[in-house]
Amino acid sequence: MAVISENIEIAKGIFKMCLSGAPLGEAGQFLMLKQPDSLDPFLARPLSYCNIDKNSGTVTLVYQTIGKGTKAFSKLKQGSLMQAVGPCGRGFPLVSGNAVLIGGGIGTAPLLLLAHALRESQPERHIKVHLGFREEAYLIKEFGQYADEVSVDIGGIITDAADFSQAAAYYACGPEPMLKAAALKAEKAGAELYISLEKNMACGVGACFGCTCKTKGGNKRICKDGPVFNALEVHDVL
Amino acid sequence: MSYEPLVTEFLGVTLKNPVLAASGTVGFGREYETLASLSKLGGICSKGLTLNGSLGNDGPRIYETPAGLLNSIGLENPGVGRFIKEELPFMRSLGCAVIANLGGHSEIEYIKGASLLNDAEIDILELNISCPNILDGGMAFGIDPKSAADITKKVKAKSRHPLLVKLTPNAPDLIAVAAACEEAGADGLSLVNTFLGMAIDTKLRKPVFNNVYAGLSGPAIFPIALRMVHEVCKAVSIPVAGIGGIAAKEDALSFLMAGASVVQIGSMTFAAPDTMAKLVDELYDYCKLNALENIRQIVGIL
Ligand SMILES: Cc1cc2nc3c(=O)[nH]c(=O)nc-3n(C[C@H](O)[C@H](O)[C@H](O)COP(=O)(O)OP(=O)(O)OC[C@H]3O[C@@H](n4cnc5c(N)ncnc54)[C@H](O)[C@@H]3O)c2cc1C
Ligand SMILES: Cc1cc2nc3c(=O)[nH]c(=O)nc-3n(C[C@H](O)[C@H](O)[C@H](O)COP(=O)(O)O)c2cc1C
Ligand code: FES
Repeated sequence: MAVISENIEIAKGIFKMCLSGAPLGEAGQFLMLKQPDSLDPFLARPLSYCNIDKNSGTVTLVYQTIGKGTKAFSKLKQGSLMQAVGPCGRGFPLVSGNAVLIGGGIGTAPLLLLAHALRESQPERHIKVHLGFREEAYLIKEFGQYADEVSVDIGGIITDAADFSQAAAYYACGPEPMLKAAALKAEKAGAELYISLEKNMACGVGACFGCTCKTKGGNKRICKDGPVFNALEVHDVL
Repeated sequence: MSYEPLVTEFLGVTLKNPVLAASGTVGFGREYETLASLSKLGGICSKGLTLNGSLGNDGPRIYETPAGLLNSIGLENPGVGRFIKEELPFMRSLGCAVIANLGGHSEIEYIKGASLLNDAEIDILELNISCPNILDGGMAFGIDPKSAADITKKVKAKSRHPLLVKLTPNAPDLIAVAAACEEAGADGLSLVNTFLGMAIDTKLRKPVFNNVYAGLSGPAIFPIALRMVHEVCKAVSIPVAGIGGIAAKEDALSFLMAGASVVQIGSMTFAAPDTMAKLVDELYDYCKLNALENIRQIVGIL
């Protein structure tokens, strides 16, 4: 059982939760989180690793309050217990060379740990981050720790700003229309793009076939075979 | 002699304990092997198989409800042949009983599937005539006593394995279906499969699921499932596996007292993967505390 060490609102309707004792994982992987002993909400909620401090073993999650589950999370106090199953899924491959990260809204959360991991694995590479928000930006300072360039857009279309002709690899996470636009641009430019998909989940570990999506290689479970996919593999279904 | 109060005979198979994982909730065991300590259980039921496999349903498949969930998986599975080759060896290695859950769209598909499973080392065949999520076949066979008896008789004649028939709570006359399956040669009955339910996306003004209706499971259905198991146990003399909404020890004990010889846990594993393993320990402690020689002493006391 993990313990909440911090749970604060960092922007309107956006919370940062720190956990100690949660399983550690890689960028793009996620935890299935649930308040223990609660039958309602019944299912665990998937939240991506937003950052990990390996020294202290602290996991940071950043989440948006949407419905029953995340609203209940936002009320939890420091010291509360949290059931955390994971690390779930397959994360972002750390392709060598320059990287461009494109995040829309709460989709920026997993990209922070990705930027962290990309920087650590190859300190000299160039990392450019495009972040798009509807109203209020968050995590900008944190991205600044790892990225060479951070461009922030509020209210616009973030994929318009990204240039798909330069980097070794592109990574995107955010709403489906944004992923679709990114996938089209990447395909045209012949760029390597990895995207993170979402679907309602029951088990989160690959056992229930509740989250399958169609890919070029047949049905894949987003929770187990994903959530990160090469955009070429899935872009027909977006 | 060691104290083994949970050892249970079920359809001629000796189970370590009466706690089984319900079909469709642990896949073929791999993902939950450690998380749910599967080897500690009495047995596990495979995901519902169809003869040639299936890609399952399009659109949303999972929708949470108060203390439960609706699912519309549509029996996504690799097919009986690939199950035997690719999944069964692993399931066998877990050291608990292996139950193959067999679904189908037509009589011939069920019979061929059951015949193919004669080549496989499974302990029990669970005939799923209760899946609400495929449009033809599935639950249609379990709604009506005559068609349920028919398919039971034909599969029983072809199968060398003990036959557990899984019933749907959506049958207008569940007791008649149960009695007809017993009469037709079923060695045991398992119930309940999911209740037909519905969800509407009010923003989009359309049903959440492409099939419109989906199957409801989880703690929300427990009291109804318990009543149905109680009724069926009164009406038949073959063993029953009690399923539906088990979340904790009290629920499992209730099913046993209502007449079920074993219980299957489904949705609760999603919410808390250690539920089944914990239940095994708690039932053991319960027997010890109540000086029961065997858990069967409370089966059907009500
Ligand atoms: C792999 C993965 C990683 C994610 N990472 C993050 C993250 O880091 N931060 C964050 O804020 N959100 C993240 N999400 C989305 C987050 O899981 C949902 O916003 C959350 O489950 C909503 O729960 P709720 O009870 O507040 O909403 P409700 O709408 O009341 O939830 C009802 C049901 O639908 C499911 N659901 C609703 N929206 C989504 C969604 N977008 N994706 C999957 N299931 C959904 C819920 O899990 C629940 O089972 C992620 C989703 C996935 C699949
Ligand atoms: C996601 C999911 C998939 C299921 N798949 C099957 C299946 O393939 N075959 C079957 O007989 N029952 C299937 N079931 C039904 C369960 O085995 C069980 O009968 C039902 O969920 C009620 O038990 P519960 O409330 O403990 O979950 C499924 C249930 C769920 C939630
Ligand atoms: S949520 Fe169960 S397989 Fe992905």
